[in-house]
Amino acid sequence: MPEPTVRVADLRKTFRVPVRESGLAAAARSLFRREHRDVNAVDGVSFAIEPGEIVGFLGPNGAGKTTTLKMLSGLLYPSAGEATVLGHVPSRRDAEFLRRITMVMGNRNQLQWDLPAFDSFDLIRAIYRLDPAVFRQTRDEFVELLDLGDLVHKPVRNLSLGERMKMEFVGALLHRPQVLFLDEPTLGLDVTMQKRIRSFVAEYNRRFGATVLLTSHYMADVQALCRRVIVIHHGRILFDGALADLSTRFDSSKTIGVTLRDGVADLSAYGEVLSTDDDRVVLRVGRLEAPEVTARLLRDLPVADLTIEDPPIEDVIERVFADARDERGTPTEAAVR
Amino acid sequence: MTVASPAAPAQPGGFLASARGWIGLYLTQMRISIASQIQYRVSNYFYMIGMIAEPVIYLVVWSTVARQQGGSVGGYSPGEFAAYYIVWTLVRNFNIALTPWAWEERVRGGALSGMLLKPVHPIHLDLAGLAGWKAVVIVLWLPIAAFLSLIFQPTLDLRPIDVVVFLVAIWGAYVLRSMFLWLLGLVTFWTTRVGPVFDIFFVAELLLSGRLVPLTLMPDWTQRLSGALPFQWTFSFPIEALIGRLPPEQLLGGLAMQVLWIAIGAVLVSLAWGKAVRRFSAVGG
Amino acid sequence: MADDRTPLAPRPATFASRRRDPLRPLRLFALFFRVGALNELQYRANFAVQLFQSALALATGLVVLALVFRQTTNLGGWSQPELLAVMGVHILMGGLIRTAIQPNMERLMTDVRQGTLDFLLTKPEDAQVMVSVREFRIWQAVDILIGAIVLAIAVGQLRTGIGLGPALIFAVALLLGAVMIYCFWLLLTTAAFWIVRMDEIHELFEGIYQSGRWPVTIYPGWLRISLTFLVPIAFAVTVPAEALTSRLTVDTLALAAGFAVVLFVATRWFWRFGLRNYNGASA
Repeated sequence: MPEPTVRVADLRKTFRVPVRESGLAAAARSLFRREHRDVNAVDGVSFAIEPGEIVGFLGPNGAGKTTTLKMLSGLLYPSAGEATVLGHVPSRRDAEFLRRITMVMGNRNQLQWDLPAFDSFDLIRAIYRLDPAVFRQTRDEFVELLDLGDLVHKPVRNLSLGERMKMEFVGALLHRPQVLFLDEPTLGLDVTMQKRIRSFVAEYNRRFGATVLLTSHYMADVQALCRRVIVIHHGRILFDGALADLSTRFDSSKTIGVTLRDGVADLSAYGEVLSTDDDRVVLRVGRLEAPEVTARLLRDLPVADLTIEDPPIEDVIERVFADARDERGTPTEAAVR
Repeated sequence: MTVASPAAPAQPGGFLASARGWIGLYLTQMRISIASQIQYRVSNYFYMIGMIAEPVIYLVVWSTVARQQGGSVGGYSPGEFAAYYIVWTLVRNFNIALTPWAWEERVRGGALSGMLLKPVHPIHLDLAGLAGWKAVVIVLWLPIAAFLSLIFQPTLDLRPIDVVVFLVAIWGAYVLRSMFLWLLGLVTFWTTRVGPVFDIFFVAELLLSGRLVPLTLMPDWTQRLSGALPFQWTFSFPIEALIGRLPPEQLLGGLAMQVLWIAIGAVLVSLAWGKAVRRFSAVGG
Repeated sequence: MADDRTPLAPRPATFASRRRDPLRPLRLFALFFRVGALNELQYRANFAVQLFQSALALATGLVVLALVFRQTTNLGGWSQPELLAVMGVHILMGGLIRTAIQPNMERLMTDVRQGTLDFLLTKPEDAQVMVSVREFRIWQAVDILIGAIVLAIAVGQLRTGIGLGPALIFAVALLLGAVMIYCFWLLLTTAAFWIVRMDEIHELFEGIYQSGRWPVTIYPGWLRISLTFLVPIAFAVTVPAEALTSRLTVDTLALAAGFAVVLFVATRWFWRFGLRNYNGASA
């Protein structure tokens, strides 16, 4: 049984945020003594990730996902707890460690603005001390995979947002890292581009056996790539397991879509009506009652079409957070950003 | 599942291989920076021309004083002042290092994270980035120097050792100043009111480095103060080396002082950088 | 009944009076000053920063002066208080330029580059007046104050006091110098209609302007001529300083006045020429 690639034990990150109140008296006081408040962005998380896994981190803004990723990539020092990635302590930022990871974030452009990406790739080769032959092969493969062709010779400033993002991806992976930290990698891209990036990540994982930690707002990203998800809220893990199990665990309901042969009827007696449009009504019923409600519907009404589905993952997640929004009221990561 | 092995670093260790790696990195970064900056070629030349106003003014003022005082002042004749300030223009260009003001944008704009994720210390990329253009500057400077020499008739006493030491010293000056400006810029991690700190530093440098006047014209106590600080090794030393005012032992001694101050700067930078990164981490960047 | 003494449209008299009012530029100036500059007063941080920087610059200037006068008692015939007076005028004029002239010219350059000049051109005011008076950096006025103080000290150190006559002539010379610098800047900025990239101009000017810290008489011939007629630094700084130090001849003053007029007319012509080109209208 190989060592886990990522091992996290009771990881915590607390930020000291200066408190600034309004009013003259407070301003005067702040001249002499700065007041601070502690924000627990990450409040004791533990998990282990095996080599080659693609794990999705889900959570609302400020939940602690990005902070966790930043701690695992060495950008932030943990306040407490342990983390090891590939056997290294990330915050020590050993050159060996940095050569084997990569992080892709929305606002990070590592490519030179005025020059073709081709030249920036060359600089990356020099920084990571890559073997020239292997580098060229990797670069050409990735350029082909992402269908970039001649765009590598155009100055980066002349590329569209999507093309630029693809270039950044190539640049981020040229050194063939074993661990990928992807923080909202498809943010702001159109649907085709998102799919492109997703399949590229999947292919990279398949080819090199890399471990991928991914945060995203787009459920489609998570559903396409991740078999395992970790749900974080208020800096704590609410769920860590297979994506498929997420709805079973948190949402014990099913949605039943009913299309009647002769128009709409009021079906509120059978369950919670989620939507009615044209002739289709969507109901939410408890998991256990679903078979019985279905039977009643089929018996009582002229049903033309009936579907039984698990609720969409987005809804599940939303309800997870709605339920978990506890009364602690502790300020979250978002207040710090 | 067929798994291709991730790329291990090409050079598997050993000093020679490592050195080649570093040289490769510097050359590549320099090449890229030149390519990037050459697009702004015209405005760069404008800036160079504007920069000669300062030394020309000093030159004229001090030559006038020298002529009035019977031919020389502070050990410099008008011809020697001309030599001082003409070489000044090249040394001034070589001194240009990363401005400490750049750090504000780096911290705020997210470029810092990118720097922290790379397996090389960011100062290498900064040093290499500006170094490339300096090689170009030497070429661009020659016509300016010729033009100024025609007008102001410098007197130079060039020995080969002067030229050699000079060529080494200007690079030493660049590295030295880069270290200390980097250090200065790191203040940004601790306060937003960096303006006054930077301004005072630059005024001190102006007065104590030989940029305003040759150091022999400053009062004795100032010269002694300069001796204890790194400034004069970035400006006064290279100039005096080329215009032939230093005996061989002072030439080599000056290079040694540059090395010493670079070492001091390097130690301070690595200490401060570690603290700066922790500080950045603590307040959430 | 309707009050026919409150018309819906502006009275024709308003337009007429605007055209005939020679003080219109001054009124506009006052308007922009009140709105813009006083707005800046709330940013006290700008003033503090500027005060600090100006103090440092002044200290540096005094250090140089002291270094020079450790070695000699006069520079090119100018004594120490006289050189201090030159420095005072230099700082004062610099403050004037950075407060009122440069901000407008920089804004004009930006407008040309970004194409936002058109908004201005649709207003009923004369375009040259508008582009010249609408911007201020009021905190740079700190330099005007410092320059005046240095001047006062310098004049106090001069054995001969300052009578009303020379003081008036000084004011006139200063005004002429300011006009010439304004014209110079506008000429350069008008060239931006054709050469759009002119960012480094103000750095270039700052460098050249430093030459005014010393009386231009110390510079070699060709440089002196350039600093008089090419970039009118001599008229901006040295000539007013000459007025204060009893050096000013009638000839020089007459030359200043004449050159100012010529420059102003030429600038006006060039501006309108550039504007017509910009508008795409035939010349």
